[in-house]
Amino acid sequence: MRVATDIGGTFTDLVYVDGEGNVGVAKSPTTPPNFEQGVIDVIRKSGVDPESIQTFIHGTTVIINALTERKGVKTGLITTAGFRDVLEIARGNRPDLFNLRYKKPEPFVERYLRQEVTERMNQLGEEIVPLDEDRIKELVDYFKKEEVDAIAVAYLHAYKNPAHEIRTVELINELWPEAAVTASHEVTKEWREYERTNTAVLNSYVKPIASSYIDRLNARLSELGTGDLRYIMQSNGGTTTFEQAKKTPINMVESGPVAGIYGAAYLGEILGEKNIIAFDIGGTTAKCSLIVEGEVKVSTDYYIEKDEYNAGYPIKTPVVDIVEIGNGGGSIAWIDEGGALKVGPQSAGSVPGPVAYGQGGTEPTTTDANLLTGRLSPKNFDYNVDMAKVEEAIKTKVADRFEMKPEDGALGIIRIANSNMLNALKLISVRKGYDPRDFTLVAFGGGGSMHAPALARELGVRKVVVPVASPVFSAWGMLMTDLRHDYIQTYIARVNGLDLDGFNKEWDELARMATAQFAEENIEKENIRFMRFADMRYAGQEHTVKVPLASGPVTPESLTQLIADFHELHEKNYTFKLEEAETEIVNLHLTAFGSVEKPALKKLQLKGGTAKDALKEKRPVYYEQDGWVDTVVYNRSKLEPGMAFSGPAVIEEQAAVTVIYPDQKASIDEYGNLIIETEVR
Amino acid sequence: MKTIKEQTVDPFTLEIVKDSLVAIGEEMFHTLARTSMSPVIYEVLDYASGLTDAKGQLLTQGNGVTGFIGMLTFMVKETLEKFEGDLKPGDIIIINDSYGGGGSHLSDVGFVMPIFVDGELVAFAANKAHWTDVGGKDPGSFSNDATEIYQEGLQLPCVKLYEGGKLNQAVIDMIEANVRFPDLSLGDLWAQVAAIRTGDKRVRELCEKNGTETVKTAIENYLDHGEQMARKELAKLPKGEFFAEDFIDDDGFGNGPFNVRVKVTITDDKFICDFRGTHPQVPGPVNVTYTGLVSAVRTVFLAITNPSQDVNDGVFRPLEIITDPASILSAERPAPVSVYWESMQAGADVVMQALAPHLPDRLPAGQLLSVCAVTIAGKHHVNGEPFLIVEPSAGGWGAARGQDGARGQFCIGDGETYNVPVEVAETRYGVMIDEYSLRTDGMGAGEYIGGAGVIRSYRAMTDGQTVSATFGRNKFHPWGLNGGEKGSPNEFIIEKKDGTTDGPFGMYPRYPLNTGDVVKLMTATGGGYGDPLKRPADQVARDVKNGYMTAVQAEEKYGVKVNPKTYEVEGVTGKREA
Repeated sequence: MRVATDIGGTFTDLVYVDGEGNVGVAKSPTTPPNFEQGVIDVIRKSGVDPESIQTFIHGTTVIINALTERKGVKTGLITTAGFRDVLEIARGNRPDLFNLRYKKPEPFVERYLRQEVTERMNQLGEEIVPLDEDRIKELVDYFKKEEVDAIAVAYLHAYKNPAHEIRTVELINELWPEAAVTASHEVTKEWREYERTNTAVLNSYVKPIASSYIDRLNARLSELGTGDLRYIMQSNGGTTTFEQAKKTPINMVESGPVAGIYGAAYLGEILGEKNIIAFDIGGTTAKCSLIVEGEVKVSTDYYIEKDEYNAGYPIKTPVVDIVEIGNGGGSIAWIDEGGALKVGPQSAGSVPGPVAYGQGGTEPTTTDANLLTGRLSPKNFDYNVDMAKVEEAIKTKVADRFEMKPEDGALGIIRIANSNMLNALKLISVRKGYDPRDFTLVAFGGGGSMHAPALARELGVRKVVVPVASPVFSAWGMLMTDLRHDYIQTYIARVNGLDLDGFNKEWDELARMATAQFAEENIEKENIRFMRFADMRYAGQEHTVKVPLASGPVTPESLTQLIADFHELHEKNYTFKLEEAETEIVNLHLTAFGSVEKPALKKLQLKGGTAKDALKEKRPVYYEQDGWVDTVVYNRSKLEPGMAFSGPAVIEEQAAVTVIYPDQKASIDEYGNLIIETEVR
Repeated sequence: MKTIKEQTVDPFTLEIVKDSLVAIGEEMFHTLARTSMSPVIYEVLDYASGLTDAKGQLLTQGNGVTGFIGMLTFMVKETLEKFEGDLKPGDIIIINDSYGGGGSHLSDVGFVMPIFVDGELVAFAANKAHWTDVGGKDPGSFSNDATEIYQEGLQLPCVKLYEGGKLNQAVIDMIEANVRFPDLSLGDLWAQVAAIRTGDKRVRELCEKNGTETVKTAIENYLDHGEQMARKELAKLPKGEFFAEDFIDDDGFGNGPFNVRVKVTITDDKFICDFRGTHPQVPGPVNVTYTGLVSAVRTVFLAITNPSQDVNDGVFRPLEIITDPASILSAERPAPVSVYWESMQAGADVVMQALAPHLPDRLPAGQLLSVCAVTIAGKHHVNGEPFLIVEPSAGGWGAARGQDGARGQFCIGDGETYNVPVEVAETRYGVMIDEYSLRTDGMGAGEYIGGAGVIRSYRAMTDGQTVSATFGRNKFHPWGLNGGEKGSPNEFIIEKKDGTTDGPFGMYPRYPLNTGDVVKLMTATGGGYGDPLKRPADQVARDVKNGYMTAVQAEEKYGVKVNPKTYEVEGVTGKREA
């Protein structure tokens, strides 16, 4: 049996799949600060026999929480002489243009803990100044005295030649084996010293936290007697072992959310859909990602705490490309000083939550608006909903301000929320040069299915899929993952006149590292699969394009193909190509998959019911165009493959609701997924 | 202020159309970055793009730098004036005229496209971007020793590049013949055309979907909303007259200093900046035109009234700006304007100086202020190819009530501007960087301390390189606020391989560097806020431990005796006790 657990803000989700392909789910409250307790709770609650668990896959928010709540450890930094302030100067930018009291992100290491050592490599990786080893010894004493728990080491051009960093880590380990150490080249081998330094610092900052969490979880799992195949979800959409996760915890920043994106791609493969917009709405945010030709896009352009007003902190590790906006079920509707209705980014969270929760929330939220318009039913809630309070909040805080009926105010909230989410969906599709008509929208998370049909219509998407287990789809996605490691090496070279031997040696070295890594993780050689990409650009440009490179030794012919593919991709991404211009390689990117055995998905058995049997009730639902419409409500768990019906309709399941518009058609496929055809042509 | 039209369209549709307009502005902005070939555009984001209504009122503007705010409006207004009754679908106008619609220097080339729906002019799309080269006497075109606009590049005085969708090839040919890197410049031209057309397409789609009348109503509504928001903030400001005067160092030819003065009058419904009495325009290229000045003052106006709201021309309706003719802040043809930001930011800075004591929650003390532009040209030490560094420098910002000044941040006129990483610079250019660090000179003392400036040292790796730099605020330092002390100057020195040094300088054209020579660029530490004696003693000790100031400075300026080894507070001086 494979079991996946995903820690969320409110609940820890569990999804399992047994040897026959049967899928089951469970939910249990998240238990900060001892998150492992929630994991153990949900395993117990699921009724799964722990000893039957062969493979355990885990998504965790422990790392991102430690970062955003500043709960990491006291960290020291060692840099090349002359450059200790790189971490504080950062890139010097100020996104909040007209705020003259803009506050730069405060570095995670205060200046007195940023120390310098004499050493220098140049851009070719040649040693210009040898490493002053005595100085390392002094610094270890200094850091001990200052009571740091972790150290980051970041030298200039270490992506090219890490010898000084390696030696420094050796010395620290000899002198002070207890300290958690990270050298910048261990977390990223890309150029740009600020980004690499910050990544190393953040890794060290959370390393002891990650180690202790993983050790505790590991011990508890062993007590339960689960099998020893234990993996953690990384930001790149693949998993790694507990041991490796302890070394580079920074790779787990987006541990949970990316699993849903990966799951959408995996589901697409089964359904024969290669182009997918994955769309996830939770309580406070909505996330979306574009999957083209079955490929989940991964990049190292990742930041935490970055938005239109804040520069944030870069983390140069491979992360699935996700656009996230502050719009979820709990987003608060409010009127600005100029009298305009806004929704989010402030959220009522889970406490006090929407007015509907009856836990003291007074501000109307998207969830409240969905209730008042009949999309959600008070009966399908975990809370006792006081509809009079919900109506009162929307009436006084929104509708009265526009002299309109409460339901029109509620619809206004939904429309503004949809408009916000639509802009995020456009950002990843239309504005990147893709036509939404070529894509299928896979909607999940607690609110995904609620809004997806309306958004699909606006965006021009023809088909929406609401998967089985959509509210816990991230955990479902984890079940389907393989082990994955990404190796990205900055390697600046003009393609014209490229040293093929040297080039092939670099690739061989990356493959060797991947194979060695997988050997440690007990993955057999025949289960290792590589994908190769070159990050390329026109000489003189800055931005790069990721170009796939065929496997096997690189030949003059494959180089010619690489250049041709680059021109084509460049045109696709940036609207033009310059066939006469010189092309340049910036990074080599090797993605290595370690395949693990996964059960095939099971097709649902027909029980011979009809759509009528799944009918729950008829209730009025308020639509944008048609006003109040008496709408049939189906119980999803009673819908069977092959059933089909037309909108307007509402489909209820535990923890999620799908609203189908008039003129839209819905059906259930052989796996139980809900397929909605929009009227878009 | 409800209009009849407004009542016929529901308020949420209007809000959604407004959001769409803003999103179109953003899409145009990203399209340009995505398709541009010049680092100064896609890395430094030295450009702006946006939409105006049919009268040229700004609706939405995506900016990489604050200095461009509002400049698009003036390009559209000049287009309307020049081509009144002669605009048709498919027209695209090109313009970089500094004195008219341009406002900055010739390097910033703008495009304007009228957007027609069913034969009706509904809006304009416009953008403006810094080209790597537009001709003129020096590579990179802007030059800190130009004496006439004719030395600063090719002038494009509001002419049609496309007429009814048909390209005017003559304009392309003339540009190609007049610039140093025609591939780059024309590449930028096509990128700007593509971005502006995206705006045209999206606005027409928006009108098709919602109806042109609805979009026009939303536009009016949006501008009124902007005005309302600004007036609400204006009502909260102190009323009266506020004065300030400061100086621009020199013009690079030994002339100067030049006074810049302002009287700010705030009434219930007006915000008037009267710059009369400011120095007349000067022979060197530190002049700015009226359009540029307006952009600078708008930045401060936004900072005071609504730093985080949507920005459109409605917001600026209460703002009035008055100058003498042909002053250093309202230069007229053919005064040179290459390094216009010096006077442009000086204009903004005196408004801040006049108001900061009264608005400490919005305005900080003085900052580096100058773009501190650096140009280094020479040959690469590995591949022998020519290279050209053109970049602004980060420096220190002023402290404000409740917060220390930002350390190492680009000046007010820049914004979402990025420095070039050391590792990238050493690979691309024929230099090594010996140091990139904070300039912890301990200046800008105060209860809240001024942000440290930055030191960046370039070592030439080949012979025959030249460095040009324009570092204003070299003689007149960033000002302190409410008892805070002033900061340090922007300056640079040359450390030659033979051990001799030259400088410090504020402005220097083409200083020669040979292998091993170093140019050490040092930007200002910002001004402090409040009485230094009020800074908590343990915070002062922490500052000494962090190296932001010395133990001597701690004692002299802050009255705190800090043990230079243990960094513990050992006592306070009489000054602090009193």
